[in-house]
Amino acid sequence: MVVERDHHGFDAPAPLGHPGRASLPEGHSTGPEIGERLPDFMLPSTSGASIDYHDDRAGRKSVVVFFRSAVW
Amino acid sequence: MYAISYDDPETLAEFAEKQGVHFPLLSDIDSKVIRQFGILNEQVTRNDALLYGIPYPGVYVTNETGTVVAKFFHDSYKKRESPEFYIDAALGRLSLDEKAPQVSGGDQDINLTIAVHGGNGTVRQGIVRHLVVRFELPEGLHIYGPPVPEGMIATQVTIQGPEGLALMSPELPATEKLTLPGVAELNVWHGTVDLTYPFYATGELASECRPLDVPSIDVKVTVRYQACTDRECLLPKTESFTLSLDLDVIDIPAIDLHKGHGQREGNYDGAPALKRLLGRKIKQNPLGLPIFLIKSLWLQMGALLRKRQQKKSQNKQ
Repeated sequence: MVVERDHHGFDAPAPLGHPGRASLPEGHSTGPEIGERLPDFMLPSTSGASIDYHDDRAGRKSVVVFFRSAVW
Repeated sequence: MYAISYDDPETLAEFAEKQGVHFPLLSDIDSKVIRQFGILNEQVTRNDALLYGIPYPGVYVTNETGTVVAKFFHDSYKKRESPEFYIDAALGRLSLDEKAPQVSGGDQDINLTIAVHGGNGTVRQGIVRHLVVRFELPEGLHIYGPPVPEGMIATQVTIQGPEGLALMSPELPATEKLTLPGVAELNVWHGTVDLTYPFYATGELASECRPLDVPSIDVKVTVRYQACTDRECLLPKTESFTLSLDLDVIDIPAIDLHKGHGQREGNYDGAPALKRLLGRKIKQNPLGLPIFLIKSLWLQMGALLRKRQQKKSQNKQ
């Protein structure tokens, strides 16, 4: 793969315009806003058992990270 | 802390074990929750094979009721916060790391600390750190934020680093209004004042596609300020500091695409997971992979042409 530098100055092992380099467009929603409650959701964890986010955090503060992939 | 991606639970379990992750990794295999949050990367289509379903990466910090108190999204997927900033956001205060580089100035009345916050002060491509200019002012003294009337000094911070050190907009606390007879309304800070200057390295300075060129960099910070009481002012001061910051490579998945670039490869072999991910996406859209491969090849050829043209114009110069 050719290494190219994007307009932010970042290098990546993929050509410019590659979908893997597509970043958040200006004005695009970034989901729930400050002051809004995060929606309810339930997802399987590493054990395969489902975790209900709000139940699991049990009244504690939380950090919720959305990341692209653990694979690549 | 919860981290969500479109990977399958098996992949996340292996990843957590090999990389020593001790918080829940949640598998949003059909990107249902990613869509629910409205952060699906729609520039990636079903014909982009294994990439389809990824989010725009970002982070929410909530309080005890699950209400968002801070969120972090950027215009480039390469820009990420230092994890310390999530703790700051959750606690509502900035806790400086004493192990990270810091220097002190000021005088017997005023403590001035220049500190780098996040990741022990190391500089990495795209990872945001904070340069914090902390004033600790005794009772009765204040400093000024802009704008100030002519003849008065607003606090000014100048940061100079090597090519490739990118500075973002400063995060300054709100000033208080101070009205003195015969003087225009003033904007002041008092007590402990943290002026925060986010920064990161671009590929010029620390690339994820080559080993580090140098082990560390010097960053020069100049602070100009004037401290006053309600009645009189001390002489304006200009203080300069130099911080030596270590550069660091980034952590990369142990797959062929990233290998050989001089970065820190993870303990986790992503190849079997990559096969599973591809298999899953091919099942959903059998034509996606060939279309993606042709598109990638086409883009790759474009990149090679651009490289050739760049070389030609460099040779001409």
